Amino acid sequence: MLVKVLAKSSFSSFVGALGDYGDLYAPVKTSEKVHSFKEIESLTDIDLSYTRTMIPPKKFFIHPEEVIFEFNIDEELYIEPPGGDERIVLFGVHSCDINALNLLAKVFTEELPDKYYLERKERSFIVGVSCVPDEYCFCHSTGTSYAQEGFELFLHDIGDSYFVRVGSLKGHEFIATHPSLFEAAEQSHYDSFKDAERKMYASFTNELEMAGLQDLLDMAYESEVWTEYGDKCLGCGSCNLVCPRCRCYDVEDHINLDLNTGERVRKWYSCMLSEHGLVAGGHNFRPTARERIRNRFNCKGSLREDMPNCVGCGRCTVFCPAEIDYVEVMKKVRGDLK
Amino acid sequence: MKVNPLEPMKAKITEIETMTEIEKLITIKLHDREYAESFSYTPGQFVTLGVMGVGEAPISICTAQNDELELEFCIRNAGRVTNAIHKLKVGDTVWGRGPYGNGFPMDVYEGNDLLLIAGGLGIAPIRGVLQYALQNREKYGDISVLYGVRCYDLMLFKDDMLDYFRNGDRHGVKFYLSYEDKEDQVCYGLACERDDRCMHGMVTDLFKKIDRPSKKTYAIIGGPPIMYKFTIMQLEKLNFRPERVYMTLERRMRCGVGQCGHCIVGTGKSIKYVCKDGPVFTLWDAMNTKGMI
Ligand SMILES: Cc1cc2nc3c(=O)[nH]c(=O)nc-3n(C[C@H](O)[C@H](O)[C@H](O)COP(=O)(O)OP(=O)(O)OC[C@H]3O[C@@H](n4cnc5c(N)ncnc54)[C@H](O)[C@@H]3O)c2cc1C
Ligand code: SF4
Ligand code: SF4
Ligand code: FES
Repeated sequence: MLVKVLAKSSFSSFVGALGDYGDLYAPVKTSEKVHSFKEIESLTDIDLSYTRTMIPPKKFFIHPEEVIFEFNIDEELYIEPPGGDERIVLFGVHSCDINALNLLAKVFTEELPDKYYLERKERSFIVGVSCVPDEYCFCHSTGTSYAQEGFELFLHDIGDSYFVRVGSLKGHEFIATHPSLFEAAEQSHYDSFKDAERKMYASFTNELEMAGLQDLLDMAYESEVWTEYGDKCLGCGSCNLVCPRCRCYDVEDHINLDLNTGERVRKWYSCMLSEHGLVAGGHNFRPTARERIRNRFNCKGSLREDMPNCVGCGRCTVFCPAEIDYVEVMKKVRGDLK
Repeated sequence: MKVNPLEPMKAKITEIETMTEIEKLITIKLHDREYAESFSYTPGQFVTLGVMGVGEAPISICTAQNDELELEFCIRNAGRVTNAIHKLKVGDTVWGRGPYGNGFPMDVYEGNDLLLIAGGLGIAPIRGVLQYALQNREKYGDISVLYGVRCYDLMLFKDDMLDYFRNGDRHGVKFYLSYEDKEDQVCYGLACERDDRCMHGMVTDLFKKIDRPSKKTYAIIGGPPIMYKFTIMQLEKLNFRPERVYMTLERRMRCGVGQCGHCIVGTGKSIKYVCKDGPVFTLWDAMNTKGMI
C-alpha cells in the first residue's frame, strides 16, 4: 500500500482540493446528539471529532427512496431514469462504515450487479479518517476497526500530521496531481501510526466475543431472550434505518394523476415491521416482535453463512427508543449475561 | 437485450383459461424474440410477473421448457397484483423478470423413481416437474403423483389431471387423488371409478394407497406450509433420507435476486434467501435451517 504524509497545516488546502473532485460531504453536528453527513459550505462546518452519524453513508449509494424506473402505460415503456453525473467526495468516513460499504457492495454488485449502486460508487471519492471509540463502539470485536480497502485515501491522525494510506488508483491520482500537499513517509511516521492504532485499540470499553456466535445464535433459536426483548421492542424500525449494513428495501409503483405515467420506487425497508414476512392469504412468517427481533439478530450474525453482518458501530443501540442494547442481547445469546 | 436485471421485459397474453373461481391459467409470449429464445429454465423456477403501475408478484412457471416459447402460469387472485393480472384480456401486456431461483435439479433425479406430492397451488410447480419427467420418460424410473384437492371445483389443471388419472398407465405415471369434501359428487365418482387411486381424505392419506417407495426414490413436494409437516412425517416413516426429499417454499418477495431481504430464512448459522438459494430446498437443508418449514 502506498503511504504519504499530510501536514495538518495543509489541511484546508487538502479539503479545498477534494472539493475539486466533486460535491464535498462530511460529518456536521446538526443537534446536541446527532451528526450527519452533509454537503459542506465552509470548512468550519466539518466536525471530525464525531463518533457516529445517525444515518450511515449507505444513503449515498442506496438512496432512502429512489426511482428505479419511470413508466408510460400507453407507450408500454419502462425507462431508466438518467443516472446523474454528480461526483461526490465523502470526507471523514470511519473504518466501520467503510467496511459496511464493502459488505453492502457484495449484496449490490456481486451476482446481479445493481447499476445504480455501481454508477454511484464509480463517481465517488471516499476519504476515511481514524477515530476514537466511545462506550458503544465494538468494531474491534467485529474485526472492522481497520479498513483495508474501500476508500481512496485514509487519514490517520498522528499528531501534527496525518498518515495517509492510498487505497485506490483514484486516490493515487489525487496525490499525483497535488504533489505539494504531501510528504514522503519516514520511519518515524510509521512508528507514530502504529502507536496511534495501538492506543485506539486499547481504548475500547465495549466488547463482544464473536467466536462461535453464529452457532450460538442457532442454538438460541427457542431462547427466552427473544421474548424478553421482543416485549420491549416498539417495532419502529429505527435500528434498521440507522444500520450501515441493513439493506432491505421495498418496491412500490406510483402512478401519476394522468393515470398513464408513473414511477417504480425502491425505498429502505425494515424487517422489524410486521408486513416484512406477510404473504398473500394473510400468513405471516414472522408474526410477532419475538420472531422479528430474532430474525434481525440472526441476520446480523451472518450476511451469508460466512460473514458477520454487523460492523460494531453501535448505532442501533444509541438510537433505539426502547433502549435495547445490541451487545447486551448478543451477550445473553452467548450466555455471558443471565 | 436486457441490461438492467431489474428491468421488466414485455410479454403478451396469448391465452387465458379460467380454472376455478380464483385461479386462472395464463399463457404469455415474451415480446423480445432474442430474450424469449434465451429464456431457459427448469421446473420450480419462477418469474416476477407484473402489471405496469400496479406492481410485481413472484409466480412459478408451471410448464416444462418447450419449443413454443410460451410460458404458462397458474395465478390465484390473492391481492393487488394478482387481481390486476386477473383483469387482463388476451392480447394485453404483462411484464416479467426472470427466471429466478434454483428450480428442481431434474438431472440429479435421473435414474431414480419420483414421488410427487402436491396440494393446493403447490401443483403449479409440480406440474412442471411432471411434464419434464414425462418428456424425458426414459431418464426416470417409476413416477407416482399424489395430488390433494379440497373439492372438484377447486382442482387445478383439471384436463391434465384427469387425463393422468384415467390414462396414467399410458403416460407412465401412477396418479393418485384425494379430496377433502365428503359431499363432493364428482370426486366420489372418480373414487368409484378407481378406488385404488382416489379417496376421500388429505393428501397424506394417499400414502396408504401407494406401493412402498423404493430406496432410490426422490420425493418432491409442493403445497401450503401446513402440508409439509404432515407429508414429511409420512416420508420419515417410510425411512426417506433427508437429502432425497425436495420441496418448494413460499415467502414474501420483492426483488427475486437476493437484494431486498424479504425472503430471508434461517439463523446466523444458516441464513438463506428463498429467492436465490431456493425456492427449492431439501429436507436436509430444512433440518439445518431453523424456521424454514
Ligand atoms: C417462489 C414463489 C412462487 C409462487 N408461485 C405462485 C403461483 O404459481 N401462483 C400463484 O398464484 N401464486 C404464487 N405465489 C404467491 C404469489 O406470489 C402471491 O400470491 C402474490 O405475491 C400476491 O401478490 P399480490 O400483489 O396479488 O397480493 P398483495 O396485494 O401483495 O397482498 C396479498 C395479501 O398479502 C398481504 N399483504 C401484502 N402486502 C401487504 C401490506 N403492504 N400490508 C398489509 N398486508 C399486505 C395481505 O394479506 C394481502 O391480502 C408464489 C410465491 C412465491 C414466493
Ligand atoms: S430501534 Fe429498538 S424499538 Fe425500534 S424496532 Fe429496533 S429494536 Fe425495536
Ligand atoms: S447491527 Fe447495530 S452495531 Fe451492528 S452495524 Fe448495525 S447499527 Fe451498527
Ligand atoms: S426476494 Fe428480495 S432477497 Fe429474496
